[in-house]
Amino acid sequence: MNPPENPGRCMAGERPPLPAPAMWTASRRAVLGGALGLGLAALLSACGETPAASPQVDVQGPPVEGGALRVGFVGGGASDTLDGAVATNLGDIARAINMYDTLMHFDHDYVLRPMLATSAVPNDDATVWTVELRDDAKFCDGRPVRPEDVIASYMRIIDPEDPKSGAASLSHLDEIAKVGPHTLEFRLSVPDAALDGNFGGYSNIIVPEDFDPANPIGSGPFMLESFTAAQSTVLVRNPHYWGDEGPYLDEVSLLNFNDTDALINALLSNQVDAIAQIPPALVEVIGADERINILDSVTGMYLPFTMRVDRAPFDDVRVRQAFRLAVDRPGMVEQVLSGRGTVGNDMFAVFSEGYPDELPQREQDLEEARRLLAEAGHPDGIDVELVTAPIQSGVVEAAQVFAEQAAEAGIRITINRMDLTAYWTDYLSYDFSQTFWYTRDFLGQSNAGMMPDAPFNETHWDDEEYIELVGRIRSETDEVRRGELIGQAQQILYDRGGLIIWGFANQIDAYQSYVGGLQEDRSGIPLSGFQLHRVWIGDVG
Amino acid sequence: MSTNADSTRTDPVVEPAVAQAADPERAAGTGRRNTVVTRFWAQRQSRLGVALTALVVLVAFLGPLLLPWATGYTQTEFADRPFQGSGVFGTDDLGRDVLSRFLAGGVSLLLYSVLATALGMFLGLLFGMVSAYVGGALDSVIMRANDVLLAIPQLVFALLAITVLGPQPWVLVTVIAITHAPRIARVARSAALGVINEDYIRAAEMYAMPRARILFREILPNITGPLAVEAGLRLTYSIGSIASLSFLGLGMQPPAADWGLMINENRIALAVQPWGVMLPVLAIAILTIGTNLIADAIARASATANIGDA
Repeated sequence: MNPPENPGRCMAGERPPLPAPAMWTASRRAVLGGALGLGLAALLSACGETPAASPQVDVQGPPVEGGALRVGFVGGGASDTLDGAVATNLGDIARAINMYDTLMHFDHDYVLRPMLATSAVPNDDATVWTVELRDDAKFCDGRPVRPEDVIASYMRIIDPEDPKSGAASLSHLDEIAKVGPHTLEFRLSVPDAALDGNFGGYSNIIVPEDFDPANPIGSGPFMLESFTAAQSTVLVRNPHYWGDEGPYLDEVSLLNFNDTDALINALLSNQVDAIAQIPPALVEVIGADERINILDSVTGMYLPFTMRVDRAPFDDVRVRQAFRLAVDRPGMVEQVLSGRGTVGNDMFAVFSEGYPDELPQREQDLEEARRLLAEAGHPDGIDVELVTAPIQSGVVEAAQVFAEQAAEAGIRITINRMDLTAYWTDYLSYDFSQTFWYTRDFLGQSNAGMMPDAPFNETHWDDEEYIELVGRIRSETDEVRRGELIGQAQQILYDRGGLIIWGFANQIDAYQSYVGGLQEDRSGIPLSGFQLHRVWIGDVG
Repeated sequence: MSTNADSTRTDPVVEPAVAQAADPERAAGTGRRNTVVTRFWAQRQSRLGVALTALVVLVAFLGPLLLPWATGYTQTEFADRPFQGSGVFGTDDLGRDVLSRFLAGGVSLLLYSVLATALGMFLGLLFGMVSAYVGGALDSVIMRANDVLLAIPQLVFALLAITVLGPQPWVLVTVIAITHAPRIARVARSAALGVINEDYIRAAEMYAMPRARILFREILPNITGPLAVEAGLRLTYSIGSIASLSFLGLGMQPPAADWGLMINENRIALAVQPWGVMLPVLAIAILTIGTNLIADAIARASATANIGDA
């Protein structure tokens, strides 16, 4: 072997021309071969890439004022809205939380705290709630937040002509009366001891009486600078913000991305400062880049399997329990969430009062599952179709893992993966399907999905004992007693419910190391529940 | 046809000198038959094409038989957490063994590609030959209908049909076949036009031979050259189309192992665990290069035994 002494001398003219085989004049083969070579080269270079070093940034000290934050997330489209009352996708939610305020709000531990209200107190039978408003809150145009604005805001939400997202859980709201300069009474047709949970819903926003979604005025920490649906939103600091904490940033840009690859690449190439929701399987590799921090929050967000309890075969509780026993829950958390989640016990609202921790953790028991199936008239196993769609990251994956696990119990699952439009068209009609829910308290979740008149009753749950208990929980103002009743209702779900709640997914976001103020949040809403008024940009030292 | 022009340029490959260099026994050989097959096999690129195609076909068809003992896992069994390096080629998006998925994932692609090509060839041949042989108004109707179909982009048509009819295997095969048929029909028609005025066709007509028999027994055997080239090209396109549709989520459905689907499932981790994407990509690339080389070699080999040679 004669290695070239000087690579620079290795020029075309110095080498005797090789006799080119006749074949190589055929262009197709040369092109194909070249393409293959290029592909291999790309593979090799992809394997050898290392992240570049970055300057160290101090984000431990007190928050620094100023700067702009660029936040990226996947989703959004032509239906993007500036009206926080109808927020659906991530961008809508980020805008709702940062441009508007609600009467109450859930803090990072999912505990209800005052916001525009200083207090919300029910009467003895929880049919009237008295709400005291702050007297110093102002909208971004400088006008004060008055009780009249609160009344108009809630009337707008429950407007029968054009009900907003929060209307479904406020169907019992009869009227709101101003009873003092800063005092309101919410009068209900049926008792509701957990109405304050609704006050904390991010879509129940307080807006001026003359609100126009085209010119959105709110009392939140930021106000609108510009908005292009499906592309970007620019928010600037609200000069009249009433809160003590922040906002520290001058400007926030919310940027829509089409897919996760582009989102992650934007973060790695420093085109955005923070991104919402990264696939759990990529946490290690993204976190290995020292410029990037991972925000891994335990949440009450779950991706359950839904069994319709009013139709065969799931009208038989033994079949439902057999399916629940067929799941290897730690296995699901490992395979679907890459271990970044917590195991579920077929009950929701884990952070809510009265959650029965004492009930034994349900584990995979294939023999018992087979026995229950045989008892229910399926001695040779059972064939079911599982309807799934990519409604949330991890859902289609969970379907595949469950199909594999359940096969051992004689449950033969055919996966019917639909596209999103087709799935939502027949949503609520599937015998066996999947859904997803963010963190909610017990009554909020029941009202939304577990009552006969609930708008999202996916399992067609209509259990008399459960309904009676929920009625009592709604009117019980004593917290201890209410916790006990919730525990009893939860046990009904554990014993015979239609949901297979195998686990709770962590919310995982990533951000540049110079971003400060982001902390873990239980809500399931990305990037500290999108509470960007606490976020600041550190000095690059 | 560009392939003919191409082959005239590179015909030196089949010159006796090259053949002798490749196989000394042939130097002494006398009276060796000079057929399409010998001319095909005498080319280096045809042998390379056959080798590449055979390699992928073997992997695809033997792969499923090797599971689970060769890798320790079935195609849907979990080996580790997602995108880990365990096993020979690591794990995929759900923690399944990539090698097991790869071995199991080729059959469907190959099978559907071959079926789609065969069906497309049948339809295209039928319409092309009938159009050429009958002529007149029927010729115009068939060829204009052909033009209409050709105006619709192949993948768009497939996406539309699969969205409406659902991602069933038969839909996949039929749709790809239908998109191939007009292209094949044009080739079949132009090849058949060169044959239909030959004397032996006239003779067959005089014997009152049924038309179907004339088409399939007299015309078809004499246009096999260009059709073989066309079949090879269409097979290449079928592989590409079916893999693309699977990648888009409209072909094979999870949890089935399939090369196109694997690329889609594992692409988010290309930088971390490239094998989940690279193995199927390489296999599809090698397969299409192989079939393309074969088609090319057939074109050269049949260039002298072309249309009209009885």
